[in-house]
Amino acid sequence: MIDQSPALILLAPFLLAIVLALLGIKREWLCFPLVIAGLAISVAASVVTLMRVIDEGTIQYFFGGWEPPFGINLRVDGLNALVALAVSTVSLLTAIYSKRAVPAETSDKVSQFYTLYLLSVTGLLGIVLTGDAFNLYVLIEISALTSYALIGMGSRRATLAAYKYLIMGTIGASFYLLGVGYLYIKTGSLNMYDIQEQIVANNLHSSPTIFVAFVVIMVGVWIKMAFFPLHSWLPNSYTYGPSTTSALLGPLVTKVMIYVMIRMILTVFSPEFAFDQLDWSNIVVWMSVIAILAASISALSQTSLQKMLAFLIIAEVGYMVGGVWLTDEMGMVGSIYHIIADAFMTLCVFLFAGIIFTKTGRRDLSAMEGLFTKMPLTMVGFLVGAFSLIGIPPTAGFFSKWYLIQGGISSGHYEYVAALLISSLINAVIFFRIIEIAYFGTKPAEGHGHHHNEEHKDGPKEASFSMLFPLLITAALLLGIGLYNQEVVAIITNFVSQFNIGAIIL
Amino acid sequence: MKSFALIAVILTGWLLLSAVSDFPDWGDTESPANDYRLSQHYITETFPESSVPNMVTAVLADYRGYDTMFETVVIFVAGIAIMSILRRKPLDHLKDKGKETRTYKKDPDLIIDTTCRLMIPIIQLFALYVVAHGHHSPGGGFQGGVIFGASFILLALSRDLQAAQRWVPEKRVLNLAGIGILIYSGFGFACMLLGSNFLDYEILHKIMPATPVEARSHSMLGVEIGVAFTCTAIMFSIYSNLASNGDMKETL
Repeated sequence: MIDQSPALILLAPFLLAIVLALLGIKREWLCFPLVIAGLAISVAASVVTLMRVIDEGTIQYFFGGWEPPFGINLRVDGLNALVALAVSTVSLLTAIYSKRAVPAETSDKVSQFYTLYLLSVTGLLGIVLTGDAFNLYVLIEISALTSYALIGMGSRRATLAAYKYLIMGTIGASFYLLGVGYLYIKTGSLNMYDIQEQIVANNLHSSPTIFVAFVVIMVGVWIKMAFFPLHSWLPNSYTYGPSTTSALLGPLVTKVMIYVMIRMILTVFSPEFAFDQLDWSNIVVWMSVIAILAASISALSQTSLQKMLAFLIIAEVGYMVGGVWLTDEMGMVGSIYHIIADAFMTLCVFLFAGIIFTKTGRRDLSAMEGLFTKMPLTMVGFLVGAFSLIGIPPTAGFFSKWYLIQGGISSGHYEYVAALLISSLINAVIFFRIIEIAYFGTKPAEGHGHHHNEEHKDGPKEASFSMLFPLLITAALLLGIGLYNQEVVAIITNFVSQFNIGAIIL
Repeated sequence: MKSFALIAVILTGWLLLSAVSDFPDWGDTESPANDYRLSQHYITETFPESSVPNMVTAVLADYRGYDTMFETVVIFVAGIAIMSILRRKPLDHLKDKGKETRTYKKDPDLIIDTTCRLMIPIIQLFALYVVAHGHHSPGGGFQGGVIFGASFILLALSRDLQAAQRWVPEKRVLNLAGIGILIYSGFGFACMLLGSNFLDYEILHKIMPATPVEARSHSMLGVEIGVAFTCTAIMFSIYSNLASNGDMKETL
């Protein structure tokens, strides 16, 4: 059974998605336990796999018993074992949150929603674990199609946002597929490690086809991760979709695509090609500086909480893309650590936004007036997430920024360091404004807008346990990842050091 | 904005074309895709390893069976997604067991009705042939499933959606689609339960009257049938949701 652990990470939610599709329509009460069971198995398998990776090094799993390049394999090393654990944990926590939110927001389609939810998680985990470049495309399709539907099930504006996302997402995925096709023309293989071996063996690094493949794959992945000029699909999709969707996709989709970018650079094309031969690093770092600043300033001007958080995601994407392209080992480690930290901090604030939306039915910032007295525990959870996004120790966000800034200084990209610091200041302004509204703002007048609950008495009115619990766990995890950052970074450094990025001199 | 889009398109086209001169010649047997050990292995080893004469089927359903399973899931997701976005009426009726009785809105046209009466069984028979004969000739689960689904769409076109719904009501469509994927992944999970890797059909010879190599061939037929179930159901589901604008009553 231990041998099967990498496959079980994604097959457990997959199997339960099918069971749910067949049984869940008539028995709605079954949906939630099945989702939790599938994702719990997935988390357990991720933990087992991570332990095995730490002990044994890279693990391979051959589907159909065919060794690569003939069949498809899962190849799990320090990088994707960590990301897979983050993905499965985030989706489990969001699933717990969804217990009340889904029946409230998509009452007539609960079983369809949960089927798509599990399949979306399957797709994301498959992207993270696979060792095959074409298989990665198939799973991008699954995670993308499910997310269009999950977003489109929201309000009327959500359908339009999902349509925009569908067009942009399809363009991104097609670019990726074109790139894989170009790689196949020149190498005859689809397995990531085998492509790399063939490129080196046939000395293809100077081939224009490989160059075009790289450009096309990078642009495709940048569209999918909402890197600044290509981000237009993201804000509305994550604002108007059901709150569970935002809490699942917001933390995961962009981060998984950053993982894909790192995997492509390190494993498929090799860092020498991407950083040294192409000599793009300066341009991409400047692009990420613009991305960070533009997205942070846009976030500052938003009045809707969800939309503001969506722009913060775009800024965080800038952090990670920049960190990867610093051509510095510390920057790469910081980016990978930030993938994990950012998944949890985005989850934290999106869960908070979801709780506020379910409680008040509003998305604007003034919905948060007087929350400290009404929902003290919820606010504690939110504060940890906010502090992490600002970068206050000892939260995870502080350490990831620390590593990224270290990378920026040692590679001499001071503009990147400056952008990070300015963005942190802007985050501080944004979140302290919310805290101010929540602490000093007047209590909302009775019978305000469309209240879901009976808001007739004063005193604490916490969110229901199923919503509060994942928020507090996420907050605790943020502190935990921060305090134990050295252990996490040790695994990442162990992975990154084999590529010898520091030795590449520009 | 439009001129910006035009520039982007031209740039992309130029970028993609700029590598064409570097491509191997058309049909070149020495090109990497033809020459590399991957394609050579498929050409020479498919029959000894899986006893399937059609190597496309073997690559699809065995060597890269994991991909194909998720391709089937893509179709499944597309169906569910279209249903969950377009379907305007609450889906509560799916939970009821009782059958709704419906009446035809219009009298069927004699010529169209007779022609379709003749054609639909033949189309369905041909679909089954395409599924079953995928081992030897072009065909397989996707193609056969689409043809089978087309026969129901023809029924819906020739009479009305209600008539076709008598055969494939919404609930049955969903169940069929789910069962299709369950068949496919069931083969995979059975391999896991018997102690091998996911989709490693060889181990299934323990529960099949076949040698390990034949077990691969038989399992491929099994998973193709699963694919056909999903394709049939989702084809019809997508048609009926799109054609009736999401209310499943009147078409077009």
